[in-house]
Amino acid sequence: MSAGAVSVQALLVAHGTVPAVRGISFEARAGEVLTLLGPSGCGKTTTLRAVAGLEAPREGRIAIDGRTVFDAARRTNLPPERRGLAMVFQSYAIWPHMTVFENVAFGLRARGVADGDLAGAVRRSLDLVGLGALAERPATRLSGGQQQRVALARSIAGDPRVILLDEPLSNLDAQLRLAMRAEFKALQRRLGLTAIYVTHDQEEALVLSDRVLVMRDGAIEQAGTPAEIHDTPRSRFVAEFVGVRNILPCEVAEAAALLPGGLRLPVREAAPDGPAAVCFRPISVQLFPHAAPGAHPATVVAATYLGDFMQYELRCGELAICARGLPRPDFAEGAPVFWSVPADACFLVAT
Amino acid sequence: MLRAETVLGIGVSALVAVLVLPPLIAVMVTGVGAGFAPLRHTDLVLNTLLFGLLTTLGALVTGGALALALGAGVPGRTLLERLVVMPLYLTPLLTAMGWNWLGSPRSGLLNLLLHAAFGPHVTLDIVSPAGAMAVAALATAPLPFLLISDALRGLDPALLEAARVHGAMPARVFRRVTLPLLLPAGLAAAMLVFVQAIGLFSVPAVLGMPAGFYVATTEIYRLLESYPPRIADATAWGMLLLAIAALLTFTQSALLGRRSFVTITGKAFRPNLRSPAAPGLRAALAWLYVALATVLPLLALLWAASSAFVTADFRLMRFTAAHFAFVLFGYPKTWLAVGNSVLLGVLTASLVCLLGLAVSWVVLRARQAGRGVLDQLSMLPLSMPAMVFALGLLWVYVRVRLPIYGTIGILLLAYCTHYLPFGVRTSSAALRQLHPELEEAARVAGASWLRTMRRITFPLVQPAVLAAWVLLFVMAMQEVSSSILLYTSRSIVLSVAVFDLWENGNPSDVAALGFLQLAASFIVVSLVLGLRQRRGVT
Ligand SMILES: Nc1ncnc2c1ncn2[C@@H]1O[C@H](COP(=O)(O)OP(=O)(O)OP(=O)(O)O)[C@@H](O)[C@H]1O
Ligand SMILES: [Mg+2]
Repeated sequence: MSAGAVSVQALLVAHGTVPAVRGISFEARAGEVLTLLGPSGCGKTTTLRAVAGLEAPREGRIAIDGRTVFDAARRTNLPPERRGLAMVFQSYAIWPHMTVFENVAFGLRARGVADGDLAGAVRRSLDLVGLGALAERPATRLSGGQQQRVALARSIAGDPRVILLDEPLSNLDAQLRLAMRAEFKALQRRLGLTAIYVTHDQEEALVLSDRVLVMRDGAIEQAGTPAEIHDTPRSRFVAEFVGVRNILPCEVAEAAALLPGGLRLPVREAAPDGPAAVCFRPISVQLFPHAAPGAHPATVVAATYLGDFMQYELRCGELAICARGLPRPDFAEGAPVFWSVPADACFLVAT
Repeated sequence: MLRAETVLGIGVSALVAVLVLPPLIAVMVTGVGAGFAPLRHTDLVLNTLLFGLLTTLGALVTGGALALALGAGVPGRTLLERLVVMPLYLTPLLTAMGWNWLGSPRSGLLNLLLHAAFGPHVTLDIVSPAGAMAVAALATAPLPFLLISDALRGLDPALLEAARVHGAMPARVFRRVTLPLLLPAGLAAAMLVFVQAIGLFSVPAVLGMPAGFYVATTEIYRLLESYPPRIADATAWGMLLLAIAALLTFTQSALLGRRSFVTITGKAFRPNLRSPAAPGLRAALAWLYVALATVLPLLALLWAASSAFVTADFRLMRFTAAHFAFVLFGYPKTWLAVGNSVLLGVLTASLVCLLGLAVSWVVLRARQAGRGVLDQLSMLPLSMPAMVFALGLLWVYVRVRLPIYGTIGILLLAYCTHYLPFGVRTSSAALRQLHPELEEAARVAGASWLRTMRRITFPLVQPAVLAAWVLLFVMAMQEVSSSILLYTSRSIVLSVAVFDLWENGNPSDVAALGFLQLAASFIVVSLVLGLRQRRGVT
């Protein structure tokens, strides 16, 4: 048996005949936040729901805390209520006909907590999310942020080891999202929860996670720590998804990328010679007003003011380059400019 | 995967199949076996089609006009919206009888007044083909009213506003945008009313038969009442009705796809269909309908039930409680019928709500193979006139000899199947409003399927289901078309007793019994709603 708090092996889930998750395997280790990151429709929710027992997978095995809860080969399939999980839904799924207290108490009652211990347990988890004062409020009279907290309180009330979250912050406004993100992280650390967290927001994934799985079309495209995913995307898809704007087709020769127009960019990791794409972030591009050693001439096509910095679209022969610079000094549209990018900011992906 | 759901899915599918299929197949097999005898009576076929067509047209125009009139907002709209659907509670049978007392050529109240005012040549003859169609249209107009109102509510006001902003005049917006958007609902309503109309028994029986105007349903009744009963011929007529209805349903779904069947479930905002012109006129139109379809027939009923003898001369009018006394204490069938009807109403409403909820839950929520088939199967009775279904049941249970034959059991079976689509519709509308994650959250929190249903799903759909229960109870209390074929002296129900008295008794006694029927419905409904309110308070 694996040491992972949640272990998923060769999971295949289909809606009708269309597979939504195509045989993926991963593990969430005890106490870590594992994020499923990917664009809309890539199968994140489906994966999470399969772990919770809300989808019927075709193939694979799922174990939680060392206990097999689903095994297609042995026709094991525990219903959701017997998997001992907690889950926060994207819609929050706050029961509108109950008070805040009743919402939190529901799961405890269902699991047979005695009435004597109930009030204390409910109060504790409401206090943890800062809602102690609202226990008797009808659930329909809550703001979005409060609903989010009730959903969180409800899921942690039963002292779960594993918590699943499906885009829990996507319905909140930007500021609240940041605040709740920090609160959730603190709570997760404090309770030592293992969390599987679904999001399509790369920043959220990088900030919250211990590890990130990038998904694409029902498969795992790349797994790694936030830093690995951010700095070393292994494919064009991941690179685009984590915001690498410059992805230029090239020929690899002698540890450098040869671009059309005779440009040569040294890269940080060698790859076998042949066609590939060289990638670097706009922020890694250095701009000079005058010719500089190793810098290439270009023209500013568009300059966009973004507050903290300027974003430039450059034309360099046939190449379009995206670069960022400080707001001052800035380069006017149409002005000549020289750019370079350090070798350790350039990496190669297959085309 | 999850056991309780699977059991429910299989159980519900089997139950629906057993309810719906045997009578249907029986009608088809015997109908075809009997040959195409009915088609020789082309006049009857034409009558039936004409009656269906004109009734549908009248109901559609009336219901559509009412929906548009009230949709734009008129004084007293909430009250009017309730009054306009009253004919559903009054039922076609009582509406037809009420109109008979108003407009029968020699003794109708309106005619007596007309004669007194303009002499004996000015007569309104309601006991005629045209009269039957007019009354049938009045009685069925609430259906298109409800469907078209729903569609109006579902219209995105932005669509209409966009047309206005782009320079279209109000009349043009109505013609080019509103009407086309309402077309699917209008067609769905037309289909529903047509199937209802060709399957309607009570109105042609009360207002058509005495004038020698026969349609398929009254012909079926006549064939079965003759001695010996000519079941095979009757079934052939049933088969004809079934074929027409099936053809229509098929055409409609081919034209519109299944989407048009779905009741509107989105946010219930009210579109502001341009600032209403002539609100007074609109209100007057609605009040006119209320007067014609509900108030006048009811008054006529009351008048007939309490007059010592029929006259329009106020100096000669004598009022008496004798008719009420007779139906309450003298008429031997009354209390048996009241008991049967109330019992049937309660059982039908409860079972249909339960089964409807189960079917819609399986269709919408369970990941069960074949749930599309279940959905279609549960909607089949919609294209099966009640009388045709009753014929099929007769045929099946005469052969199978289950112990329910001759008891209210067979009526219960007929009612439950007939009203099943209504139960499924209302509960799926309610279920669709519930985010599935509400149930899933309960499961993940540790509640079993049953506990989730009890604690989450039922309480949340309860208001919608209760409303459906009340309407189902009232409809079942007053069902005539299939009851008239399936009852026996032990299992007589109120509506049949009313019709029976109509054919063989004193007209004033009929009116009194009709009132008793309304009163019985009213009392039970008030009890239920009262109970709920008391529960709601605690
Ligand atoms: N109930 C369903 N029936 C049919 N197909 C479905 C159903 N639910 C999801 N799918 C399909 O399965 C695929 C994966 O869906 P899933 O909801 O897991 O995506 P997701 O990664 O969570 O996307 P999002 O970020 O939009 O929530 C999609 O192509 C979707 O269209
Ligand atoms: Mg999702």
